[in-house]
Amino acid sequence: MNYLPAKDRDMEQKLQDEAKSLLEQERVDYIIGFEPGSLKFTTTPLITKNKDDVDRLVITPFIVNNLSVYLTEVKGRVGIVAKGCDSRSIVSLIQDNKVVRENVVIIGIPCPGLIDLKKVERLVGKDRDELDDITRNGDRVIVTVDGKGREFPIAEVLYDNCLGCEFPTPQEYDVLIGESALLVTDFTASRQKVETLEGMSQQQRWEFWKEEFDRCIRCYACRNVCPACFCQRCFVEESEPQWVLPVPRWQDNLIFQVVRNIHVAGRCTDCGACERSCPMNIPLRNLARKTYDIVGELFHYQAGMDKEASPLLTAYEVEEAEDFFR
Amino acid sequence: MTDNKKISKSDLEGLLNEWSQEFTVFVPSQENEVVKLAKWGGKDTSFLDWYRNATTPAKANFFPPREEMFGFQKDKEGYHLELPPSDEHKQLIFGIRPCDARALAILDMTFKDAYEDPYYLSKRNGAVLIGLGCTNPYDSCFCTSLDISPVESTDVDLMFTDIGDQFLIEAITEAGKELITKASGVEEATEADEAKAKETKEASYNKLVKKIETEDIKEKLLPAFDNQDYWEGVAAKCVSCGICTFLCPTCFCFDISDELVKNQGERFRCWDSCAFPIYTKMPMENPREDKWRRVRQKVYHKYEFYPMNYSVIACTGCGRCIRQCPVNWDITRVLNSLPAKI
Amino acid sequence: MEQELQWEPRVVGFLCRWCSYAGADLAGTSRKKYPANIKIIKVPCSGRVDPLFIIKALRLGFDGVLVSGCHPGDCHYQTGNYYARRRITITKKFLEYIGIDPQRIQASWVSASEGGKFAGVVSEVTKGIREVGPNELFAGER
Repeated sequence: MNYLPAKDRDMEQKLQDEAKSLLEQERVDYIIGFEPGSLKFTTTPLITKNKDDVDRLVITPFIVNNLSVYLTEVKGRVGIVAKGCDSRSIVSLIQDNKVVRENVVIIGIPCPGLIDLKKVERLVGKDRDELDDITRNGDRVIVTVDGKGREFPIAEVLYDNCLGCEFPTPQEYDVLIGESALLVTDFTASRQKVETLEGMSQQQRWEFWKEEFDRCIRCYACRNVCPACFCQRCFVEESEPQWVLPVPRWQDNLIFQVVRNIHVAGRCTDCGACERSCPMNIPLRNLARKTYDIVGELFHYQAGMDKEASPLLTAYEVEEAEDFFR
Repeated sequence: MTDNKKISKSDLEGLLNEWSQEFTVFVPSQENEVVKLAKWGGKDTSFLDWYRNATTPAKANFFPPREEMFGFQKDKEGYHLELPPSDEHKQLIFGIRPCDARALAILDMTFKDAYEDPYYLSKRNGAVLIGLGCTNPYDSCFCTSLDISPVESTDVDLMFTDIGDQFLIEAITEAGKELITKASGVEEATEADEAKAKETKEASYNKLVKKIETEDIKEKLLPAFDNQDYWEGVAAKCVSCGICTFLCPTCFCFDISDELVKNQGERFRCWDSCAFPIYTKMPMENPREDKWRRVRQKVYHKYEFYPMNYSVIACTGCGRCIRQCPVNWDITRVLNSLPAKI
Repeated sequence: MEQELQWEPRVVGFLCRWCSYAGADLAGTSRKKYPANIKIIKVPCSGRVDPLFIIKALRLGFDGVLVSGCHPGDCHYQTGNYYARRRITITKKFLEYIGIDPQRIQASWVSASEGGKFAGVVSEVTKGIREVGPNELFAGER
């Protein structure tokens, strides 16, 4: 499958060479990157010590995971493949003292945006495994179904969060593979769902979330794929006091999500991993993006931009927003 | 003349409504792009055009994600229990896939063992399963490797096969036979219909490309138990979420919690997952604190321990754990790469 | 209708043990009158208040939440109330987006010497929450 034009396949070669030399020179103990997945249009995280494995490293429009989630877990020095948003998550982890900068070699990938397979499925009316091919060519994408290619503007198939990405190229890196990325953005489209919710009445919003959370099964995929959710023990697992039951009722599900999102305020980079992981299609990014925006508006803070800065919630200005304090 | 029957697709609506008199009928239904076996609304069989398999397996109909076990009230004399109302009608599930039907047979072994689980069995006993052969399996499906055909099943009451504008109906059980003897719209199938069905079945069967070798696994799995390096390697990318177990049609673990507010409360049970570190947490010790031990447990439970207890692999190759996994952790890759026996 | 007349707002007050709790005490000892609608929980510092406490109180059916701490600059732990301020501001904004009336989440700075202010705050908060009405967010099926 030709996911990428030849230029980008050169990037893959560069990435593999870089990863190999990092392992050979013993600058890192592990490489974390992406290798081809077992299903069409998927990739899967590759976490390896073995220099022969790095030949499998790929860069495709389907490198959807935020690999920084593994950094708190893998022991030793790590060479990690990072897109723009991932690199910010890494910086955020450094700010929180969860990761030591010297122990990480960030292999930056300028990211031109990831392709949302659900959007592709909706456009062509077929499931992903029924498609022959998806090829990106600059600002166009060609989806081949039953041997016939159909062309769409790339903005129609990129993830909502990618459309709103301000930093497609990693801000913090040790090695950059390729040049800075050309990302097709559409900030209006990116925030559209959030805006629709903002336009609703309070009652409508509550009903909306009530319904969405009714189908949550509490698999915790959203939390577990999130690099900002690094607590050793999450409040939902506390039994004394038992803040919420493990029972997937909308009330408990809603509390879980609300508190999770507030807890990651200033750490969330709007990478979209939570929403992508949800097997029940709950539009979780509508929450993540809102927190991101609140933090930006009130405190002019953007997550993971400065590794020397204090994390948002452990810092303060003497004079700042407190209009409603009596 | 054959033993089998057939029905025109346009008559299915009528048939489902007829069955609704006696049963609560469930059909594939899609909401928010999540497919469930949901209550039949009385019309609209458009699911026939898009249905491949449900996101949540049929186990959810008998062993729901959350279930009230009983309510309780506390007064001066003590506690009073109140059982939840039982369903008035038995369930009739139309469109269950052979993998999920087999999974229910596997779940039956657990829930109807030395301890009989009244919550599961009260729903399951007398429920009618109507299978619908897969004509378009996913690329993550591997049921044939587990001796399950995507188009045939002995675990259902009736089996439907798509033969163009009609379905061929095979009665598998007596209950199934009874259901169609006097049903309207049901006709005798001809030999030509059967030939067509055979053709469809073969084509579907051959669409499955994903494979595992159960004989090979049987030989290699147990000796690999102590191979920590191997399990650490395969577990590395797992994020310990509950998707693969919750959506697995044969996983049955549950957790029980009480909620008492003022003087009344409820006891619930809900799905639990061996992927969660807290699953085995005890006051002094957690035997599966390490992720590789949890991942290993999941694989062994399905492919080693369940066969030891019940002589059947607790996996039906439905592929949900692969399809839905946020990191594409693929059990077939793991099983196909087991270290050779030393 | 009869029930509506009988409804009285129930408010949880998370008060820091150094300033606002002492302020509440002073209000009591100096016989300042304030509504009995507030149920006080003493916390070591307003910085201890997790957004979880706030939503859990609403889950339990309370109609409003008041978080109160030392005035900015006066925190017994130097900076706890500054952290609290950010957290509560974000929480209030976020809960509004979820569909919870922001009036239900209130905050104040009350020092140990401000018994009168405390009584005033409780009166105002209670009045505000009375206007919003009973919290039926989580009502219905449990």
